[in-house]
Amino acid sequence: MYNLGTVFRFEVIRSLKKKSFWIMSLAFPLLIGAIFAVIYFSNQATDQAANDTKNQKFSLVVTDKSGLIDKQLLQQFDATESDNKQASIDDVVNGKVDAYFYYPDNIVDSGVEIYAKDVGLFDDGRYEAVAKALLQGSVSMTVDADKTAVLQDRVSFGTTTYKDGVKFDGIQQAIIPGIFLVLFYIVIAMFGNQMLVSTTEEKENRVTEMILTTIQAKTLIIGKILSLVTLAMIQISIILIPILIAYAFMHNQLALPGLDLTSLPIDPIRIAIGAVIFSLSFLLFTGLLVAIGAIAPTAKEAGSFFGVVAILLFGPLYAATLFISAPDSPIVRFLTLFPLTAPIPLLLRNAVGNLSFIDLVLGVIILAISATLVMLIAVRLFRYGVLEYSRRMSLKEIFRR
Amino acid sequence: MYLGGGSRACAGVLILYVELLISQGIIVLTRAESKESIIKIDNFRMDFGHKTVIKDLSFEVKKGEVFGFLGSNGSGKTTTIRALLGIYQPTGGSLLVEGKVFSVSSGIRLGYLPEERGLYKKETVIDIMVYFGQLKGLSKSDAVQQANAYLKRVNLSDKADTRIDKLSGGQQQKIQLGITIMNNPELLILDEPTKGFDPVNRRLLMDIIEEHQKNGTIVIFVTHQMEEVERLCDRALLLKDGKAYAYGSIKDIKSKFGGASLDDIFLKVYGDENEASGEDL
Repeated sequence: MYNLGTVFRFEVIRSLKKKSFWIMSLAFPLLIGAIFAVIYFSNQATDQAANDTKNQKFSLVVTDKSGLIDKQLLQQFDATESDNKQASIDDVVNGKVDAYFYYPDNIVDSGVEIYAKDVGLFDDGRYEAVAKALLQGSVSMTVDADKTAVLQDRVSFGTTTYKDGVKFDGIQQAIIPGIFLVLFYIVIAMFGNQMLVSTTEEKENRVTEMILTTIQAKTLIIGKILSLVTLAMIQISIILIPILIAYAFMHNQLALPGLDLTSLPIDPIRIAIGAVIFSLSFLLFTGLLVAIGAIAPTAKEAGSFFGVVAILLFGPLYAATLFISAPDSPIVRFLTLFPLTAPIPLLLRNAVGNLSFIDLVLGVIILAISATLVMLIAVRLFRYGVLEYSRRMSLKEIFRR
Repeated sequence: MYLGGGSRACAGVLILYVELLISQGIIVLTRAESKESIIKIDNFRMDFGHKTVIKDLSFEVKKGEVFGFLGSNGSGKTTTIRALLGIYQPTGGSLLVEGKVFSVSSGIRLGYLPEERGLYKKETVIDIMVYFGQLKGLSKSDAVQQANAYLKRVNLSDKADTRIDKLSGGQQQKIQLGITIMNNPELLILDEPTKGFDPVNRRLLMDIIEEHQKNGTIVIFVTHQMEEVERLCDRALLLKDGKAYAYGSIKDIKSKFGGASLDDIFLKVYGDENEASGEDL
């Protein structure tokens, strides 16, 4: 690997010197922080407004055919009762009263009818809130507190399961092996486009031949991959370090929840399998990116090819529930063993613990063979494809060389 | 060694006689022929699928000579150079530099200016020069030193920290030339070096070639600029249809074609070819 260190240093340092690298790195956590802040303040403001709305006073007429509404509660809301539905609706239409609620005989089938004066899109919600509060308040008066909690689904459940005579928590078991799935997603999201740009750069700048007479194609590619992994780790650190510092020094002031990782179960076999699948998937993915970059004349054109690869890689995420509930179904097994879709099913099924031994062995072998083949082909494509500066080469043409 | 008067007279006559034979073309003695071959290409063949681009090409380039590698567009010049430098795998034959197949780790100091050339546009001049210097085996400090010395020579010292894309086309050409000659190459391959060069940079290139020639560097000059070949090259090869059409000293080639100028020879050899043959192979 003659000159690998030189390529690695050059690629890392020049990226670190670029303002765009720091803008991109800092923009992500800042943007996420800003989005969370907006959501938090928006929710707070909405809750406050909803409470304000619920407490707003308005003139109200009620017809109760269901017999469920408590008379005392009606008085608390300053509501008057009426037996004439149409007259009450007319009063609303003519502006004599603000709202009229009609509780029919069978509220489950017919539903509660609300007629009211428009007070704006958001504030119109107060009518339904009051109608519901009247109904729920009235019914809960007739049932004891525990039953009310059951009916309102406010009871918590704690499940303890055992496997081979030992306490076993499937969700907790999945957390550490599942990190490889998250890591794979992050690496591709942060790394994919940069790798394409990096691979097409020599071609776009027409420096390929000068480079290939000073360094081997595979050394250049490995140098670029290592530098991009390093840069991805730096970017992840930029995101994580402020969070860790904030947690270490300010978690009391910020009222952050306690974090106890010591209770997480560690399954070394599943972690090792996750690491192997992750590494092979990463190699396969990188090989595909290099191959695409070598064939396409520009990073822009390479981007459209990358879209297809991304769909194949991440498409299986949409069937995530299927991987958990029906691991032996033909579609799950096909996606697990087809090289381009294999990474996500293999990582996910390993994390949740339903990857059978045969699927694991076959999947890893298929992934290893395809990753090696793709990487070898990618180096060849790079070697010949990057010499074609202005046009896209066909695979046939490249393999003729 | 001391020679007596008779012996000196004898030696003088002998020298005169040999010079006469040389002048009459009975003895053909060129400067290069007495030297060791550094590049040896034997029966080189290159196929791209069913298309044969080079057919059994053989030639040698000797130590210290400037060798003209001539041919029209598509004749296979660039393919031969790429195969010589290990970028392409030859279909057949051997291409050796100092007795071995060239590779980036073979220890041969190469300066290569390809026909298609450019630089990393977003990097600064000094960073790029130092990077290529290091790739060519220089230490960082030596690369910095050589880069600065070259920039001073071509009056671009003030541009050392300027990004490549902020330089004019002519300034970028100067940097490309500077990178080509970093680490004092022993083999200098220039593929259509004057293509797109302005007169100032053309002059600079010629100066560089002459300096390196004096220092014993082998220069392979791939071109169809016959005037420059005539002025600089010791020997040349004319490539046509993937074969050596003519090969030898400039004088030999000229005599083969009845003493015509290289320009006329080029027109005679390649004039019937379609000028719009597309990009070079």
